[in-house]
Amino acid sequence: MINLPVLDDITKILFVLVLATAALIITIRTLTSLLNIYSIQSWVIAAVAFVLYLKNGSIVLLLLAILTIASKAFLVPFVMRRIQKSMHIKRDLEFRYLTPIGSILVGTAMIFLVYWSFSQFLPELSSETMFFPGAVIGVSLALMGMMVIFTRKQMITKILGYLTMENGVLLFSLFVAELSFIIELLIILDLVMLIVLATVLAFGIDTSIDEFHDKLNSFTLWFKE
Amino acid sequence: MLLAYIISGLVIMGFMLLRFFAPARRADYLNSLAIAQSAIFLILSIASLIYIPQPSFFFSRYLMIDQLAVYGALISCGIFLLASFYARGYVRRLVELHDIEVRELRLFYAAYNLLLIVVVFAFYCNNLALFWILLELTTILSAVLIVTLNAKENIVAALKYVFTASTAMLFSIIGLIILFALTKQATGVGTLNWDVLMQQAASMSPRLFTFAFVFIFIGFAAKAGIVPFHTWLPQAHAKAPSVISVLLSAVLLNIGIFGVLRLYAVAHQTAAWHDVSLILIGFGVLTIAVAALSMLPRGNVKKLVAFSSIEHMGFLLVGIGLGTPLALFWVLFHILAHALVKTLLFFSAGILHQQYHSNQFEDMKDVFTLQPLAAWGLIVGSMAIIGVPIFPVFLSKLNILTELADYSLPVLFIILLCFLIVAAAFAVILIRTIPQTGEIKHEPYRVSVSMKLPIMFLFAGIVILGVYFPGGLHNMLVGIVNSLGF
Repeated sequence: MINLPVLDDITKILFVLVLATAALIITIRTLTSLLNIYSIQSWVIAAVAFVLYLKNGSIVLLLLAILTIASKAFLVPFVMRRIQKSMHIKRDLEFRYLTPIGSILVGTAMIFLVYWSFSQFLPELSSETMFFPGAVIGVSLALMGMMVIFTRKQMITKILGYLTMENGVLLFSLFVAELSFIIELLIILDLVMLIVLATVLAFGIDTSIDEFHDKLNSFTLWFKE
Repeated sequence: MLLAYIISGLVIMGFMLLRFFAPARRADYLNSLAIAQSAIFLILSIASLIYIPQPSFFFSRYLMIDQLAVYGALISCGIFLLASFYARGYVRRLVELHDIEVRELRLFYAAYNLLLIVVVFAFYCNNLALFWILLELTTILSAVLIVTLNAKENIVAALKYVFTASTAMLFSIIGLIILFALTKQATGVGTLNWDVLMQQAASMSPRLFTFAFVFIFIGFAAKAGIVPFHTWLPQAHAKAPSVISVLLSAVLLNIGIFGVLRLYAVAHQTAAWHDVSLILIGFGVLTIAVAALSMLPRGNVKKLVAFSSIEHMGFLLVGIGLGTPLALFWVLFHILAHALVKTLLFFSAGILHQQYHSNQFEDMKDVFTLQPLAAWGLIVGSMAIIGVPIFPVFLSKLNILTELADYSLPVLFIILLCFLIVAAAFAVILIRTIPQTGEIKHEPYRVSVSMKLPIMFLFAGIVILGVYFPGGLHNMLVGIVNSLGF
């Protein structure tokens, strides 16, 4: 059995990594780097799930870690890279309302706001040491993802913002309560489908309608002519 | 029973994959399958109502058949059946105009049928997390249905829909997780099963429950088109083919409202229910006001009808927030009335679009000569939707407003003022459109019988429901209100 303080320390280091990736996601312009950072963030969150599994031995957490790596570190970035290649967009230069520095400041303010509002409610729920910071960082990450959706113009960047939101929600759920595995699995499948659809739609905006329908049909092979 | 739904749905989907017919006849073949599935589902829903003791639980209590669920399923299957008939002529015409390509038809109808399956099971969900999953699936499928048309604006509309709805739905998941943790704290075993939540609600911390409720509400509200999460709705409803606008407005918005209703029933068992009521009424009034003010300057018939849907969802929210048995009874009736009238309006708008190739009122010249049925549909539908007597919306509006008068007179006045604006918006547009004459740019379009029949059926249905309240429906609605614990 690994002793608990060490695991808590590892979790804290992983939290810092999560925040670092979040800071990069809200500021970076190059799309390929954004995708890479998203993959790294997913790995970090899977690592958090694994550490929590070592701590309390719940098999659902282990399965979640594996699922996260399979879907978020491999499958989603793979699909997005493929489609992005055919779109010829490399950088998302436009920030609406916020500059990168502004994004960092707003992001930091969000963390404080979430911390303050959650401290009014959540501590009633659990007495675990890592529960509260985990929940706060999870929701802050989700809000930062939402900020990316609202402040960036390129659809692909918006989708990455949405994916970051999902990672935040996942982190939150790891610390607050894990739902039954079948439900978690269905949720992840749902979200993967949503991302694939959104990516294909984003592709459609930048290409001709014929090419778009080709792509749409290629993801629904059975219905292809 | 639930297996019967799944098996029949899958068999029909299987038939869709078969390539029996040449492209020329494919539209009708696929449409026949859609009609068959809607009819089978409607029959199964009626059978569930009659033969299954309610509530009954299935699949480890993840699914449940109770009266509220069957009511939702019946309305949805009925609307799907009407829409499937209408789609026969409508989609054929879309293919002729190259608004949709033949190669997209299979995808279109597959998504259509899958949507029906998902919708019915969303109503039959006992588990709120499973409900969330199915709600998200409805977003995916309806977005696919919107983009099968050959137009780029549709992709933009669908993307906006997907982004707004699913971003809001992620907040719901946070709320659901808090709720789950809350039940775990109260009883030792976490659950999101609605029947258990109803029993355990009293032991939950009201503060934390309200906290969870707000998060869950954001997602459900976005799906129901509640302000400020409504931004996707007007564009998606206006750009979608009319037969899909019907499903979005008369079926999918209801699921969001049903979710809020179930959650509110749980809240009613806690000490938090006054706060929750206040939240619902606040959002409801805001929604009605924003929708009403957005309707005045509209020139696009489908956008006008879409904003009217937002307004009605806001009104339903106010009705739910009142929380009296009478208000809830009429909320349930209003859901049915709104679904029927909205279907009539979108069906009529669909015919007008195919005649004039436009949704703008100023393009619609000589409507009574060219499309008398659609013109009447628009007039009767507009009168019915603003709540003119002898139409069913009048009954529910009157009764909910009477209940509202007991709650707060200022709120009643605000809502009445908004209704006046809405009525003016419909009146202005009808008065401007109907006498318009001018050079006819397009050949008169012969509307097929399959499109006319559902409209006539709706005329009859709306008038009958406005003047005669069936005893069976009354008992069912009373049963639902009781089962929700009011």
